[in-house]
Amino acid sequence: MTEIIQRYGPDLLTGFGYTILSWALGTLLGLVLGFMIEIARRFGPAFLRYPIRAYVEFVRGTPFLVQLFVLYYGGPLIGLRLDALPAGILGLTIYGSAYFTEILRAGFDAVPVGQVEAARAIGFRNTTIITRIMVPVMMVSALPALVNFAIILTKETVILSMITVPEIMFQTQTMMSETFAFVAPILILALFFWGFVELISRFGRRLERRFTHYLLDRS
Amino acid sequence: MTSQTAASAHLRNVNKFYGPFQALKDVSLDIPPGKVTCLIGPSGSGKSTLLRCINVLELYDSGEVRIDDQLIGYDSPGGKVMAANRLREMRREIGMVFQQFNLWPHMTALQNVAEGLERVRGLKRPEAQARAREALAKVGLADKEDNHPSHLSGGQQQRVAIARAIAMEPRIMLFDEPTSALDPELVGEVLGVMKQLAAEGMTMVVVTHEMGFAAHVADRVVFMERGEIVATGSPRDVFNNPTDPRLASFLQGYRERNSLDF
Repeated sequence: MTEIIQRYGPDLLTGFGYTILSWALGTLLGLVLGFMIEIARRFGPAFLRYPIRAYVEFVRGTPFLVQLFVLYYGGPLIGLRLDALPAGILGLTIYGSAYFTEILRAGFDAVPVGQVEAARAIGFRNTTIITRIMVPVMMVSALPALVNFAIILTKETVILSMITVPEIMFQTQTMMSETFAFVAPILILALFFWGFVELISRFGRRLERRFTHYLLDRS
Repeated sequence: MTSQTAASAHLRNVNKFYGPFQALKDVSLDIPPGKVTCLIGPSGSGKSTLLRCINVLELYDSGEVRIDDQLIGYDSPGGKVMAANRLREMRREIGMVFQQFNLWPHMTALQNVAEGLERVRGLKRPEAQARAREALAKVGLADKEDNHPSHLSGGQQQRVAIARAIAMEPRIMLFDEPTSALDPELVGEVLGVMKQLAAEGMTMVVVTHEMGFAAHVADRVVFMERGEIVATGSPRDVFNNPTDPRLASFLQGYRERNSLDF
């Protein structure tokens, strides 16, 4: 076991790095894109609503692996030539955006109308209402779901191995095929994800406390 | 609080529809400056809709609504809907207080009041907070500035909401059933603040079920039913000599519900 770790340690570290990088960028960009889509759907012109709905339903209705293949192998057919890593990150971004936008939709819906009306009556512009009122208020209900989906995305990253992104699953598979050892690589993979997810959920709970501090009793 | 000149408001033949339902039927009403006008009537009579047409939280379908002589909601009578930035400018002059307070739960009392001063009036934070403190002091909540709404009673929340509105130095104030969501013992503190505002010469339009307040504080009482103004007059005229049979029966019903005979 030590021998294997010595030999494959650097590759595994590289793999962790790519996994974390593609997760972090995919989640962040997915969240930004999802937010923009939701803002467009909610405040934009009506003709955008149908295409947005179609986008969300398509992304949610097809397997991530299929989307990734379409992007990576089908992309060049329309002139979109991406290396494996950018293709993987873009794939995660698109996949994430559809789910994030739905979580945010429910979040926006849960903001009491009266709180928005109070802001309008005072003369706030829409952007101020969104950033200063709606987003902080909706985070109370939306944040757990957002963190939850960010956690789901950590595990979707293993699918990037199918388009040769050298992330942790890819490294583990290489290791398995070269050493015929299965238990150690899978164990390492599992421990990595367990720790990774634990970190994210702790961070998520801290964020939740930040957004809900005013609901806690401190009188 | 520097006092601004009180504004008047004028509604001319205002109609408002929700689908096939007509909430306001050809309503005309003048709200005199510096006076308290109370709107009373059964629920669903259009009182709140009328109030919300004054600051265009509801866009009326036809007619004219003016603040002083400036049309609000449309560029010209029967013309295009007013541009958003123009509407925002006009709304700065109009304060509003809601039945459900509608404070922003993630902000302290002070932040709730200061936010508009910073974001809409463009004041620097220290200046905005200083003015917000003045407004909170005025409603008797100087010691509650760090409380979030969830740590305030209903009456205190409504007073913060009033402070939030008056801090913007409006020239007219709209109150949409400001005490209806309050426990009876908390109604007095809110009405007290409103009386104080009235005494300072603020133009106030108050939708209320508090007939006592209407009788004692209103300069004019407007009775609405089914989207129409049925009667208007001084509190004495409206409450003591109701000539309209619908008004008489509304008041009769109110007296029966609030009678102390068991």
